[in-house]
Amino acid sequence: MVRERPRSLLPLVIVGIAVGYALLLLIAPLVAIVQNALADGLQPVIDTLTEPNVVHALEITFAMTVGAVIINTVFGLITAWVLVRQRFLGKTILNTLVDIPFVFSPVIAGYALIVLFGRNGWLAPSLIPIVFALPGILLAKTFVSLPFVTREVGPVLETLEPEPEQAAYVIGASQWKTFRAIIFPEIWPGLLYGIVLTLARALGEFGAVAVVSGGIEGRTETATMFVFRALSDRNDAAAYSVSLLLGLIAVFVLVALRLVRRGMKSSHRKG
Amino acid sequence: MSIILTHLRKSFGTQTVVDDLSLQIESGELFVLLGASGSGKSTLLRMIAGLAPLDAGQIWLNDRNVTGLVPQERGTGFVFQNYSLFRHMTVEQNIDFGLGIRRVPAAERRRRVQELLRLIHLEGYESRLPNQLSGGQQQRVALARALAYEPTVLLLDEPFGALDVKIRVQLRQNLREIQRALGVTTILVTHDQEEAFELSDRIGIIHHGKLVEVGTPSVLYRRPRTHFTATFLGDANLLPARRNGTHVYLGTIALPVPEATDALRNQPVDLLVRPEEVELAPTDGALSGTPIARGIVRSVSFAGPLERVNVELTPPVDGVRFVDALLTPHGAERNLLEPQAEVSVGIRSFHLLPRADVPAAV
Repeated sequence: MVRERPRSLLPLVIVGIAVGYALLLLIAPLVAIVQNALADGLQPVIDTLTEPNVVHALEITFAMTVGAVIINTVFGLITAWVLVRQRFLGKTILNTLVDIPFVFSPVIAGYALIVLFGRNGWLAPSLIPIVFALPGILLAKTFVSLPFVTREVGPVLETLEPEPEQAAYVIGASQWKTFRAIIFPEIWPGLLYGIVLTLARALGEFGAVAVVSGGIEGRTETATMFVFRALSDRNDAAAYSVSLLLGLIAVFVLVALRLVRRGMKSSHRKG
Repeated sequence: MSIILTHLRKSFGTQTVVDDLSLQIESGELFVLLGASGSGKSTLLRMIAGLAPLDAGQIWLNDRNVTGLVPQERGTGFVFQNYSLFRHMTVEQNIDFGLGIRRVPAAERRRRVQELLRLIHLEGYESRLPNQLSGGQQQRVALARALAYEPTVLLLDEPFGALDVKIRVQLRQNLREIQRALGVTTILVTHDQEEAFELSDRIGIIHHGKLVEVGTPSVLYRRPRTHFTATFLGDANLLPARRNGTHVYLGTIALPVPEATDALRNQPVDLLVRPEEVELAPTDGALSGTPIARGIVRSVSFAGPLERVNVELTPPVDGVRFVDALLTPHGAERNLLEPQAEVSVGIRSFHLLPRADVPAAV
């Protein structure tokens, strides 16, 4: 006779804990933002998002984020390539340095940028101001989102077999042609994933940007800084509205990440 | 001469992988480099393609010194053991890759791809991706990709090593037909002796980075010059003997001198007798060849179409106690193939080797 094991409650409890934890810490704040932003209907949200200061904050947030993504895509790709393919003195050090933005507090990073580029800094600029200006914001966003492309592309590069590349060389393809036609299609999903992570990180950055930009209203104030200031000013409707927009973008990025991941998996299966 | 290699040398650290190797290969020839893993055969092939730098020596392809050239400028075709197709490209794009780089006109490219698909028997597979093909099909596409731009020489690195035995045999025939049809000078690297015998015009035996012996399959098998070749290609019974001007003496038995062994006159030699040349009979008189000893059957094992018989010589001949014979199970000798049966041992034909001071291949 086959005896069924008595049903254990343990799996139910564990699932309950995981789901409850996610609901409380992840979903609840999102719901709260949506609820509060839309408490008085859509009109206050539209009013806030069309206010000149807010429009400007959103504009510089997106522009500087795109700038940071472009810079980190190009240099991240080069760094990943160099770390995987080249042998040079200090490679281990470079490899460790790449992770500094992961472990540095963004506020300290922002402060470091001021020390470096401020009026009496070592690299004080002579022509255009950096600190308390847009270049500072760009630098801060670039700094905090630097590792992602390198860290996503590196492992993919490492797993590539050498033979297809060698086959391309023997057939007559130049190194550049081989990179474009053979290597790039392989690393593309990883690169895209790194770009999306870079984008999300650069978009939401607050600490480093707050320190280095000074948060001058209508000039160097970004979206997250606007939210912070609106909350301090008890302007809840405005804070919630901008939060809602940033939250929606984050959710969109999350969905995009899932799609890219799925693409990575299916392209991996092909191998 | 299509391929000329002179005094090639290559080391990895302290280990010499290719050791002062020289070789000439005729136009249109299919040359097989046969050796165990680690013998340096793949490295040699990669040196010819420009994928492994060499320490010394020269490589000439079709009267052009390519020694210092990058792979792109050598005009070779290379097929890897693991296919190595471009996996995000279709079959057609893979084959077309080299034609696109050479800016061949579109119509000519399409014609050429179709022609190659016909040659490899994969018409209608143009738009498949590599992961939709079997291993054998992928390797045929890899071959077509390497042939598309009409390379000066074709280099194949264990091309059938990752495939099932049955597919392997089919692909060999396909390869031989294609190679004959196109007349492209080809070097194939393998550790598979059967593959070497079936495909090659000539075989080069490579061991510890040195070319031990070069020749047609039948000459290397029947009349090898070294112990290594004799024991690496097939099984060998080796019996110590002496040779003078007219006869070979195995103990007290005088045998006629085989052809092409004059260089071994008055030297210590070993008699090479392939197991299929060993004969067993109830009495010396029933042997068609030369009787060499009496013996007792010690074991009989199944060897596919033949049976392998191990015979203990009583008494031993010059210290040799055992010989192996390969017999057809339906032959007249069948009833002798019981263990402990007493038999007369004879040899139908044999070859001479200089006495080995070096250990033979395992």
